[in-house]
Amino acid sequence: MGVLGVAVPERFGGIGGDAVLIEALMEEVGAALVCGPFLSSAVFAAALLENLGDAEISAKLLPQMAAGSLIAAVAVQDAAAAGTQSGVAPKARQEASGWRIEGEVAYVIHADAAHILLVAAETTEGLRVFLVEGNAHGLARSPLSTFDKTLRLSRLRFDATPARRIEARREATEALANALDLVRVALAGEQAGGARRVLDITVDYAKSRIQFGRPIGSFQAIKHMAADLLLEVESATSAAREAARLLSMGSASAGAAVSLAASVCGDAFVKVTADAIQMHGGIAFTWDHDAHLYLRRARADAQLFGTPAFHREQYLRAVGA
Amino acid sequence: MTSQTPRGSQEALRDEVRAWLHANWPGRDPEAPHGWLAKVVEGRWAVPRWPAVWMGRDLDDEHARIVESEFAAVGAPGAGQDRTNLWANTLLARGTDALKEKLVLPLLRGEVGMCLLYSEPGAGSDLASVRTRADRQGDHFRVNGQKVWTSFAATADYGMLIARTDWDAPKHKGIGFFFLPMKQPGVQVRPLRQITGESQFNEVFLTDAVCPQENLLGEATDGWGVLQTALAYERSAMGEAARGPRRGMGQSAPADDPLIALAREAGAMEDPVLRQEIAKVVILKRLNALNATRAKADMRQGSSSSLMSLGKLAMSRILHEEARVRTLILGAESLLDGPDHPRADDTNFLTLNAYFTSIGGGTDQIQRNIIGERVLGLPKEPEIDRDVPFRAVRTS
Repeated sequence: MGVLGVAVPERFGGIGGDAVLIEALMEEVGAALVCGPFLSSAVFAAALLENLGDAEISAKLLPQMAAGSLIAAVAVQDAAAAGTQSGVAPKARQEASGWRIEGEVAYVIHADAAHILLVAAETTEGLRVFLVEGNAHGLARSPLSTFDKTLRLSRLRFDATPARRIEARREATEALANALDLVRVALAGEQAGGARRVLDITVDYAKSRIQFGRPIGSFQAIKHMAADLLLEVESATSAAREAARLLSMGSASAGAAVSLAASVCGDAFVKVTADAIQMHGGIAFTWDHDAHLYLRRARADAQLFGTPAFHREQYLRAVGA
Repeated sequence: MTSQTPRGSQEALRDEVRAWLHANWPGRDPEAPHGWLAKVVEGRWAVPRWPAVWMGRDLDDEHARIVESEFAAVGAPGAGQDRTNLWANTLLARGTDALKEKLVLPLLRGEVGMCLLYSEPGAGSDLASVRTRADRQGDHFRVNGQKVWTSFAATADYGMLIARTDWDAPKHKGIGFFFLPMKQPGVQVRPLRQITGESQFNEVFLTDAVCPQENLLGEATDGWGVLQTALAYERSAMGEAARGPRRGMGQSAPADDPLIALAREAGAMEDPVLRQEIAKVVILKRLNALNATRAKADMRQGSSSSLMSLGKLAMSRILHEEARVRTLILGAESLLDGPDHPRADDTNFLTLNAYFTSIGGGTDQIQRNIIGERVLGLPKEPEIDRDVPFRAVRTS
């Protein structure tokens, strides 16, 4: 269907979709709880390459990524945790034989399956993004055991790992920030779509589960929870779509809208999936039901690319407060 | 107009409204001049969706919105009453010919004072349990009972009244809906002191009040059906202009939000914990605006929006949360009150007045029932008083 090329420009064999299309697609990804490196490779890595704009590397990699034959992962220190460069980034040094990378990055999303890595490393001229082959010498990938079984995380160690510097038409930090905006909108879409599906499943269950001779959804204790969750779902949807709309327009208020969506959708997905388990009762305490899978995804999503609290603070700053 | 393309007819209409406003609206004056509404009615702009015989133009919604937007653009009131004038719409839909002749146009011209006589001390959320009685006596009804939460009762000419007409029928099937004349000896109005100290509402005592037969809307026992028509108009009008607290909130840019202004003044914007609380409230307000925008887009596409019914519940939460966070910001200062302490006075007022929205117009709990049942399709609670004669229904 070409969805793997959603963030890849048409000239490189992709769809060239904007934030609005990507957000809409991610609502379905969230609803269906799609597993795999879609967000990390097709959205994050593709958007980062496109934003860096190295003509040669883009022409080589992006068509393969759009076709699905190449999976990429992005290794940014703490990007998974907070989206900031607060940790110690790996160091890159230039030798006669080329660039070498030294250091460690934790929480790299879907790095285990990646054919190539985009690594943000410090140079004497500041942060730059490097291309590292998955089978490069001196690269160690340690898979981490995760709470959300559908999310693969790895710790990467670089020990004089050979790398190629990706030429950039803008500052690497700016390219990263742009790519992260798109990733956050995509993630907000996943959260909104996932929350909506979980509410649908829960409401259906409340209509069919009979206790005390009545469907449990006729009890106000359940009905009122469902009504509150609908407000969460609709608000998350509004926030994610508005951020996508403003980002696709290149609006000056896109940054604030992205932070707003990231905080709202992150919290909403956790709230809806957590309450859904309570409303289901015993059946959701088992692996016979999918409810726990959504809760696991929601709790993981709320940590990726900045927590809701982080984004609330970012929102205030973006609106000048 | 029908011979033109839709686009052409819209442009022609827009030009016609503009020309009329240019000739008649005095411009920047914020107050509408005396007799303005009569002029709007005469110009056939007050109710453009209505038929010509009632000073309308038979316009569809899309064209009628053009009239409203042109009036709004110059700040002129009076257009779009076919959506917003609760009284005239209800009367036109369900009134007797005699009463329509007498009141519809005066209502559009704003010449008739109106109030609502629905709630009673014993019939709040459960409105169908009203015990005010209307007994038929020849060519009129005699009305006895007590109503409450009535705004403008002291100045009203008529009250839209629901009263029990058949005590042997189940509660929804023995109610009549009336335009009760308010200026008569059997109607006594007493102001209520509200939780905020204001007196916006009244109690109304009805003692052998007289209501002519022609002031009955629909059948004498179909008042519940008429009430649903009236409530639908009321909700539609309220959805357009939700009442906020007395000081401005909601529409401003986030950085100009009064909550942030207060926090700055009180030095709370330096406190990371308070910043989180403040951000949550500012974001809730922004979400409500975004939801409202989506609801309007849904409505334009002709689908009724589930978002519409969420707005009131969302507003309740915003108002209570804002009051809570203002209190956090002020700390001990919120112990104070009155004009010498305006920040505390505001905060304490908002704390109490938040219940206006979470109780009035259907409590949050009733609102959650409505959302659960009508939007999510969850089954209703069993109603043990639904099909029994009202006489036999238990009361507190």
